[in-house]
Amino acid sequence: MAASAHSAIWKTVRKIWQTLGAIKTGVVLLILVVIISAAGTVILQRPATEADEMQRAYSPQVLRLLDWVGLTDVFHAWWFVLLLSLVSLSIIAASLQRFPNAWRFFSRPYKSTDESFRNALANHALIPVKDEEQALSVAERAFHKAGFRPEHIVRENSFSLFGERNRFSELAVYIVHASLLLIFLGGIVDALYGWRAFVTLNRGQQSSQVQMQNGSPRNLGFAVRCDGAGQENYADGTPKRWWSDLVVLDDGQAVVRKQIVVNDPLVYRGIRFYQASYGKTGKIDKLVLTATPRESAAPKDITIAPDETVPLDPDTTVRLAEFIPDYVVRDGQIYSRSGDVENPAAHLVVESRKSHQAVNFWLPAIPGFEQNASSPYTFEGKDLQMAYFTGLEVSHEPGQWSVWAGVLVMGFGLAVVFYFVHVRVWAAPVRDARGQLLLWVGGTANKNKDAFELRFREMVEQIKTELKVSSKAGAETPVTSLAGK
Amino acid sequence: MARVARAEQQPAATGTTLVVVVGLGVAFLLFMAFLNVVKSGNLLNDSNLLYAALIFYSAAGTLYLGFGVTGIPSYIRFASLATWAGLIANTGAVAHRWYESGHPPFASIYEMLLSFVWTLAVLTLIAEKKYGVKIIGTVTMPVAIVGVVLMQLLRTEVHPLVPALQSTWLHVHVTLAMLAYAACALSFALAMMFLIKDKMQTETFLAATSLFGVGTYLGVLTRFEKWGGLSLVAWDPERKSEVFLAKGVRLFVVIPDLGWLMLLVLAAVAAPLALYLVWRKTGKETFIDIANRAVFVSILLQVMALVFFLLRARDGRYGSLDADGLFATSLAASPFILSGLVGSIFVSLLYLLLLWRRPDLERMLPSAEELDRITYKTIAIAFPLLTLMIAAGAYWANRTWGSYWSWDPKETWAAITWLVYAGYLHMRVTRGWRGRRAAYFAILGFAVVMFTFFGVTYLLPGLHAYA
Repeated sequence: MAASAHSAIWKTVRKIWQTLGAIKTGVVLLILVVIISAAGTVILQRPATEADEMQRAYSPQVLRLLDWVGLTDVFHAWWFVLLLSLVSLSIIAASLQRFPNAWRFFSRPYKSTDESFRNALANHALIPVKDEEQALSVAERAFHKAGFRPEHIVRENSFSLFGERNRFSELAVYIVHASLLLIFLGGIVDALYGWRAFVTLNRGQQSSQVQMQNGSPRNLGFAVRCDGAGQENYADGTPKRWWSDLVVLDDGQAVVRKQIVVNDPLVYRGIRFYQASYGKTGKIDKLVLTATPRESAAPKDITIAPDETVPLDPDTTVRLAEFIPDYVVRDGQIYSRSGDVENPAAHLVVESRKSHQAVNFWLPAIPGFEQNASSPYTFEGKDLQMAYFTGLEVSHEPGQWSVWAGVLVMGFGLAVVFYFVHVRVWAAPVRDARGQLLLWVGGTANKNKDAFELRFREMVEQIKTELKVSSKAGAETPVTSLAGK
Repeated sequence: MARVARAEQQPAATGTTLVVVVGLGVAFLLFMAFLNVVKSGNLLNDSNLLYAALIFYSAAGTLYLGFGVTGIPSYIRFASLATWAGLIANTGAVAHRWYESGHPPFASIYEMLLSFVWTLAVLTLIAEKKYGVKIIGTVTMPVAIVGVVLMQLLRTEVHPLVPALQSTWLHVHVTLAMLAYAACALSFALAMMFLIKDKMQTETFLAATSLFGVGTYLGVLTRFEKWGGLSLVAWDPERKSEVFLAKGVRLFVVIPDLGWLMLLVLAAVAAPLALYLVWRKTGKETFIDIANRAVFVSILLQVMALVFFLLRARDGRYGSLDADGLFATSLAASPFILSGLVGSIFVSLLYLLLLWRRPDLERMLPSAEELDRITYKTIAIAFPLLTLMIAAGAYWANRTWGSYWSWDPKETWAAITWLVYAGYLHMRVTRGWRGRRAAYFAILGFAVVMFTFFGVTYLLPGLHAYA
């Protein structure tokens, strides 16, 4: 009982295995992948499309249905992953089921021909000869000339020639299939352990935390600092280049420094930082001012950052308390209309240590706020540098090496599959029904058969002419008279 | 039809006329162009060279078609010469463009078409010289002409590359794509030749032609608006670009009544298909006769639709449903509609050619087995190229966006194309699919390629906004 149940299970498993490996299953699975992924390009997809746009595009019922089935995020739906896994299994099953045969073919080449094979082979020729050894040596020379290195095959009662090229091309298909599995493996590893995140940094800022796509933070275990970022334009104003100077800080030590640009990321511990966006923060980075003391008229230039206090003389300091990019005064308050530097105003606080007096200096003078007249210094704006942020895409794809390995292997495999032909040639002395001695020459190619056929015929012709010449040199019975019958 | 029948009886009499006429036409056009060039004092720039290429390709196309109508073999020889001349001019245009812009011409859709047409011409000559498929130009030259005409309409200034496109991998990716797509186009043309040689019924070609037209006009009619308008992308003639309402959202203008015309033409191109189906059901030959005449009528209507489209979309200002005021549009804003209309006319003309001149066409083709084998060989070239193209694209994406595969529509469709050809190869190797079924597969593969190249760009938005 137990044994039969066991064998029944075994039978089912075998059957499933056979079905998985069948070409029909493979084709059906591929058609399903094609249809579903095509659907995924037509139906709007979730994380890429904003939620309100989805609601605009589809009615609530339809959207609920699509969401429920998973069609709004096809490529991450469990059933799509399942389908791809089935495809992988099918490739594995098909390859494993066919591999033993191919391996036998590969490891035990068919070198010595038998009669039925000789008759069945499509490309073969029979050339009447007188002398076995002479005929074989002519054939050997012809094989050599055609680029083979013929082997002498010695059996108990026969002696023949075998030559071949590119035997490994018989296995190339399995290499391609294996490469596909490598790529899938990389994809699966990345789907499970990979992640993508985003971080924005201002100049001089550092962060050890990035924001994941779902909004949650993630600790990197090290910090990345932006030492500078910028944009270069073409003459017509379109952007030419975005760059960021990044420094990786591990345990407080700067370990890697690199200027990244679009197309050239920084990699540290398998985590990649890409230049993704760049823009103005609306805040000021530095203000260059000319400060002129009221008593003496010796102006000097100072550079000041927000909230920075800069000494003007041993007694006096100035602090940049506030910078308003686009100011407007309304109801006795100062507002900023926008983040663009349209109508900038700077609020400076000039302090005297001796008198403990702080004066509000506004640039430009805004009535009701400014106390410019009582300031020991006057200021003039000279230059202003806005702060820019750089947006970095952060990604971790531990499986990508498997993908690239798979791509390389596939390139190699496809080249072998399509452009390396396994060619085999045989030559053996045989006797026909009447006992006439003949040289049997046969050949086969596993692809590009028409081209091989031409080359094979040329080779046969060459053997024929050489035999004729050498038999004339021997000057006994002419070969042609034998061939005529 | 009567005139054609007469020509069939006495082909030798009209032998030199077409060659002379085409030769004079070429000489005249070149002379006119030369006068212009002398005036501007700038002989070698890519638009002049492209113009010369257009003239030669048109001459080649006319001669190939001329062979189709008259069956005179010498036309093929001259057509081949004209293709050579066109290729030389085209090569000059590519080289000049490359020199001027400092990067290989693969950055915009204009430059990609330039490379695509060049590859197609090269492959045409290879197929002709190496494999003896002498009338392949009848199919590929019209495609090349449509390509060059499209290029004349699209913007031609050298645009600096945006940062994401400044990568060697881009050039590798696009070169491979162009080579692969041109090889796919060739395998498609060869599969069609195979079907002709394989005694496929002319009626089946009728149905396929009609189906192609229906598909094209249905595609155009996705832009059908209320009250019979047809909405087209608005075009800013100053900035030579589409008008955007927001990032990635194009502004459409509505050309009144053009939608009705397109609907009428849809009915006309669908009529042969309907008649074909009736013929299949009833078996009465009269329906096929009517269907053939309906193809004739549909060509006239299609030409009319094209003319109206050209006249109305070329200039003029139209209202929009999304914004107030009048906006201009341009042919450059609707390259896909334009190529669809022109392509559909060409396909119908090719059908007429087949209907009238089938024995002559067959005589100029290698055997069916040979065609089958060459089709397979071109796909054996296209498939590794497709694979490498996808790999190079993935590598580039990984360096630029931080992810080698994001299931963006273009990527997905490239994968689908790859799968279709993989299916073809498996069926051929494991199931021994030869001949007709393999030819259908090759045709399906090219249809998917075309959808990936044009359809995805046009209908499905995604990251591949550059082309």
